[in-house]
Amino acid sequence: MNRDQWLDERTFHHSQFWDLKQLVEVKQQKGLTISLCLPSLNEEATIGKEIIILKSELLDKYPLLDEIAVIDSGSTDQTREIAAKFGADVYRAEEHLTECGNHRGKGENLWKALHLLKGDIIVYVDSDINNIHPRFVYGLVAPLIHDENVHYVKAFYDRPLAFSQGLRPTGGGRVTEILVRPLFSLFYPDLTAIIQPLSGEYAGRRSILEQIPFPVGYGVETAMLIDIYEKMGLDAFAQTDLDTRVHRNQETIDLGRMAFGILRTFFNRLSRQERMHFEEELPRIMRQHVASDGQFDLKEHLIEEFERPPILEVQAYRERFHK
Amino acid sequence: MIQIQDCVAELPQRLAPLREEFLANLVMLGQIPSPTGEEQGRVRYILDRFLEAGLPEAGEDEAGNAVGTVTGETRQRTILMVAHLDTIVPSNIDHNVQVQTDRILGPGISDNSLGAAVLSMMPACLSRLGIRLNSDLRLLGTVNSLHRGNHAGLKFHLDHAPESVDVGICVEGVQLGRLNYFSIGTIRGDIACDVRPDSSRSYGSESAVAVLNRVINRFLNLEIPQRPFTRINIGKLRAGVAYDIVPDHAELGFEVISHSDDMITRLQRQIEEIVAEVSARHSVDAALDCFFRREAGGIPFSHPLVKAVIEVMQTLGIEPDQGHSPSELSEFIARGIPAVTLGLTSGEKNLKKPDHVMIEPLMTGIAQLIGTLLAIDAGVCDDDAPA
Repeated sequence: MNRDQWLDERTFHHSQFWDLKQLVEVKQQKGLTISLCLPSLNEEATIGKEIIILKSELLDKYPLLDEIAVIDSGSTDQTREIAAKFGADVYRAEEHLTECGNHRGKGENLWKALHLLKGDIIVYVDSDINNIHPRFVYGLVAPLIHDENVHYVKAFYDRPLAFSQGLRPTGGGRVTEILVRPLFSLFYPDLTAIIQPLSGEYAGRRSILEQIPFPVGYGVETAMLIDIYEKMGLDAFAQTDLDTRVHRNQETIDLGRMAFGILRTFFNRLSRQERMHFEEELPRIMRQHVASDGQFDLKEHLIEEFERPPILEVQAYRERFHK
Repeated sequence: MIQIQDCVAELPQRLAPLREEFLANLVMLGQIPSPTGEEQGRVRYILDRFLEAGLPEAGEDEAGNAVGTVTGETRQRTILMVAHLDTIVPSNIDHNVQVQTDRILGPGISDNSLGAAVLSMMPACLSRLGIRLNSDLRLLGTVNSLHRGNHAGLKFHLDHAPESVDVGICVEGVQLGRLNYFSIGTIRGDIACDVRPDSSRSYGSESAVAVLNRVINRFLNLEIPQRPFTRINIGKLRAGVAYDIVPDHAELGFEVISHSDDMITRLQRQIEEIVAEVSARHSVDAALDCFFRREAGGIPFSHPLVKAVIEVMQTLGIEPDQGHSPSELSEFIARGIPAVTLGLTSGEKNLKKPDHVMIEPLMTGIAQLIGTLLAIDAGVCDDDAPA
């Protein structure tokens, strides 16, 4: 399947899957189980709303989901209490797979979720979505339920609406357009077909997710795409338009650190594939200017971008899922 | 009532598994902006819920209200349950709803997103509880209720619905225990004051604000009796564009409330005279628009509907708080239909920050609503029912 074909055949809109009753029937016929993972760190403002809506609509009323779990990085606010109160299973990431040590970051939570959750399909949804709606889940899992050839589904939120000068350009956020898309264009042109490679919502089959490494920090989304692409090609992917997503906007300076982490993830993969060679190990320090009292200071940020190995390599996981 | 009492006492427990579903509906519906005249999003939402629950008759009426009917076994009476869908919150305000461990916060969440959410869930709720009523239960999410809407949606429905209504229940988000069965007489009006152009002034000129100030002073000098209870509220005042520009336009919004319709009529006449006189004396065009009128009245405390509701409340441990209602109740009363307004939970209605509603009492509030339905369905309000 070439990029144009893929874009045409594997790009969906959530409204195509509105019939939840029918979707649940197909899921049950195929004997699939689906787990929802909400990675969190201090998300008390939105976590309760997400759980209430997704549990009520997709677990109680239409049993599309088999479990809802919050994997928390050590919130200091009411995130865990609220999540438990409204019926989610709550896990502190640091308390599980302790034999593997502990790293803090979203990727760590996603990786441990593979061990903690039982579904054949894992759907990951960020915990900071203000306009949460069941479509954020069913839009992502439906292509996996319907088509066995699809292994990983990515969300996107922008629609190419007509306006006065034809079609407006559409795509991802700032980091996507000025960093990830140029890099994909240079090194993984097929992946440019993915409209929002950094979107925080995606669903995948356990069978592929357990085979890939997980950077614990900023690079997890990019790494998933590259690693699954390497193993299965573009045919394994699909993407779903979930309409608008309202969430906290990040400062440009924070995006700089994100870009640093993503670049390290990228270069790791290019080195691994022997497409790029570095004489020395890449630095882990990102420096950013801070202005105060008329002075400019350089602030150093340690961005390790540690990578978890494929969880299939962890004995406890193998014992649980591959006896 | 004895069999109903047993059933009512069990309702909170039976409703508990539906708690998340009610809350989910509240969050989703509460995030749809719905200022008066722009309620279409909530109408669509509620109709989707009705259709999802399998209501055979669900759609918009000609006024744009969301209407669904849970058809009764014997159809011997029609109960109309109403929740207004409009809020006082403009659509450009962020309608983000936040869920905390004990409460839900959001603009307009108490008035009346909660009432609308519970109305939308009523068919699914009755079905899940295995309750089949003999009466038809008509569910109505009304549009154009607040402000100048003046209950237009409900008025239209009551005046044009193919089947007459036997009993009405108005559902409001707060406060649990609220039991309204009479309305206080009310008029609401706006006075718009425009300074005439120089050429048409017989003498001098004054700012529109100064002229409205004279109107307010005259209001304050009106003789207001203590009995029957009567009050004039000056609620809105708007004028001016800059510090150095004398305003040539000003607006005043007021309300007169009284237990006596005669007193309201008398005060309205006096206000009309004040406005006409001030307009003539001070070279302004002052226009009075009394756009809202509600007659005083209601059903007596001894009415079987009131007694039944109090009994349901007592069974559920709810302390009744009886008083007059500014809600759509008056439209039922004006048409001789016995009706009550009930609140669903505790909470707070705010103008300057988001409202909140408490989660814990909500299922008791919904139980009270269903208990009231069961009592009406058992015939407590029928003509031949013992008073």
